[in-house]
Order: sequence, then C-alpha cells, then structure tokens
Amino acid sequence: MNRTPIPLKLVAALALGLAAGLLTAGCSLRQAADAAPTGGPTSSPAAAAASASASSPAPAGRFDYPAAAPAPRLDLVDQDGRPFELASLSGTPVLVYFGYTHCPDVCPATVGVLNQVIGRAGIPVRAIIVTVDPERDTPAALKEYLVYLPPAYIGLTGAATAIRTAADAWGVTYARIDTSSASGYAMAHTAEVYLVDAAGRLRAHYPFGTEAPAILADLARFTPR
Amino acid sequence: MFRTRSQRTAVGIRHAGAAALAIVLVTLLAACSSASPSAAAGGLEIKEAWARPSMGMDRAGAVYLEIHNEGGGEDALIGASSPAAETAELHETSEGASGMMAMKPVSRIPVPAGDHAKLEPGGFHIMLIGLKAPLEVGSTIEITLRFEKAAPITVTVPVKAG
Repeated sequence: MNRTPIPLKLVAALALGLAAGLLTAGCSLRQAADAAPTGGPTSSPAAAAASASASSPAPAGRFDYPAAAPAPRLDLVDQDGRPFELASLSGTPVLVYFGYTHCPDVCPATVGVLNQVIGRAGIPVRAIIVTVDPERDTPAALKEYLVYLPPAYIGLTGAATAIRTAADAWGVTYARIDTSSASGYAMAHTAEVYLVDAAGRLRAHYPFGTEAPAILADLARFTPR
Repeated sequence: MFRTRSQRTAVGIRHAGAAALAIVLVTLLAACSSASPSAAAGGLEIKEAWARPSMGMDRAGAVYLEIHNEGGGEDALIGASSPAAETAELHETSEGASGMMAMKPVSRIPVPAGDHAKLEPGGFHIMLIGLKAPLEVGSTIEITLRFEKAAPITVTVPVKAG
C-alpha cells in the first residue's frame, strides 16, 4: 500500500477525469435510467448494467445485468490467509461488497442490510466484504471484524495491486483520503452491493441505501425453485 | 426501536431546566448586544437519537439524531463529547462525482430556523473515536451536543441495530 498521502488535487483530478470519462462514454448509471444507450462494446459491470437497464428500464435503485454475465474474479486472500476464488461458493448466491473495517458509517449501514437479507432469505446466502484498505485490513483484522457478523460472511484482502485489479473488474473505485480526523485516514469508495447467483453469474447491483426487501425480491427471482 | 414518546418527554423535562437557564442567559446576552433575542437556546430539540453497535473498541462508533429548531434563528451543531469515548467528531459522508462515498470531518452542521438537521447513515453523523467500552445493543450512552448559539444539550442515546 502506498503510504504517501494522495494529494487532494490528484484525487479531485482523478474524480473529475473519471466523471468526464463516464459522461463521454454515455454509460453513467444515472444517465442509464433515462438516456438511450450509445451501444458499443463495454467491459465493466457498471457499463453492462447501464446498457441492460436502458434496454428495459429497471426500477429506481436497481440495475440488472445481462443474465449470462459471469461475475468477475475475486482471486484474493480470505480472513484466514487462505487463497480464495469466487468459484468455491458455486451453488450458493453471494452478496459482494467492497468496503473497509474502519468505515464507521456507510459500511456498517450496508452490513445491516446484508444481515437482513441473510437472515430473511430462507436459503443459504453468503456475503463477501472485499477490503479497499489492505494496509489496515490484514487477514487477522478481517477475522476480528467478522466476529461481529453472521458466519455467512467472508472477508477478502490481498496485495494492494490485487485488490485494485479485482475492484477494476467489478467497476468499483476507491481512493485514500487523509483528513484531520483522530480516527486516521478514510477510504472513499463506491458502495454498491452486488448480487451473484448460485451459478456464479452477476445479476444485479444496488446503490448505497437500497433496503433489504429489494435485494430479497431479486434473490427469489434469480434462485431456481 | 425508536425512542417512545414518553421517553422523549422525560428527556425533554430533564432538559427543560437547562433550556430555561439558557434562555435567560441568551436573553441577558441579547440585552447587551445587537444579536436577535429570538436565537433562543430552548428552541432546539433532539429527536430520534441512536447509536450503532460498535464492532469492538478499536473502530469508531457512530451516533445519529435529528436536531429540530423551533426557534427563530439559525443555529449549528459545532461539537460533541461523550463519556463513552475519548473524542467525538462531526463527520459528513457525501457522494462524489465518481460515485464514491467519501467521509470527512466537518466543523459545523447547520440547523436552519423552523427546520431540522438530520444526522443519518450516509450523511452527517457523530463519530465516537477511542471507545471506552464496546457499544452494545440495549445499552445507552450520554452525549453532549454543543451549538453555535444555544446552550449545550445532553441526550441519552440508545444503542440499537441500524
């Protein structure tokens, strides 16, 4: 992990660049709700979601993926320090979230929603928290965090480059923010929840603030009876 | 899970004395300054306060609440403290242009006149750093809120699952 504080200007420039890029590509999620897709090959899940939801408008707050899209890889290390592959959970639906354990607001709120989904699903569901803060979130730190969560959870970490590669594949962005807070640095990150079906296909993702019933409804819809 | 009306009333009564004192003080201050006497300390009321259970003691806790301002002047929350933690900071989570949720400390949270400020997940919140004990569901903590104009208000905050 790069310990050098990222200059604010750089973060701002990156954010601006990313925003401009998304706008130029015509595939920002917000645009997808009301704009016609420009088409063209896309590789990121966000872009795939945009074209999917544009062809058949999804309800607000939910973005479907083409049914056949396999979930991107998560070749990282779990809370016990063991190599992990998403394929190892084949047969069970999985909720995937990128966050970090020192996140006091957004991540616990999302974890609260995931807990509700896990508790009410009526079928086994796993949840994966991929850290975007490998500097602090070692396997041991994740293991200690998971003590407070249901056993359905898996925590993933790894080398900074491996996490960046995984995040890019999922359409997740994050950046370190150094503030004056006594709690140390924070991580800015996209806070979507991703739903992977039992066959390992990425089926939907949900923006921060999506309540459990919307995810439960999709889970039921994507689970063969 | 939210605080019942009777509990809220009890808290209100507990603070009525402090509020009355504050009104007197503010009125006295107003008498010797050009400040509007309508910036009454008693105009603020705290509702729907809750704290999220913490994950151990090494990670920060979060407190959420609403500050209702029935008075005639704008006020602002400018600080907080709690015997439950070494430090309490005001923070704001906001969504950037790229869709990233970012959290940063803020020096004040405005409480508009005749309106309310809402501290809620994904927005403004109070971070408790250096917890002296884990925040567990069913327990309560005290937190004192400091305002730009009004006198400090101490509230009892239940810990509950968010």
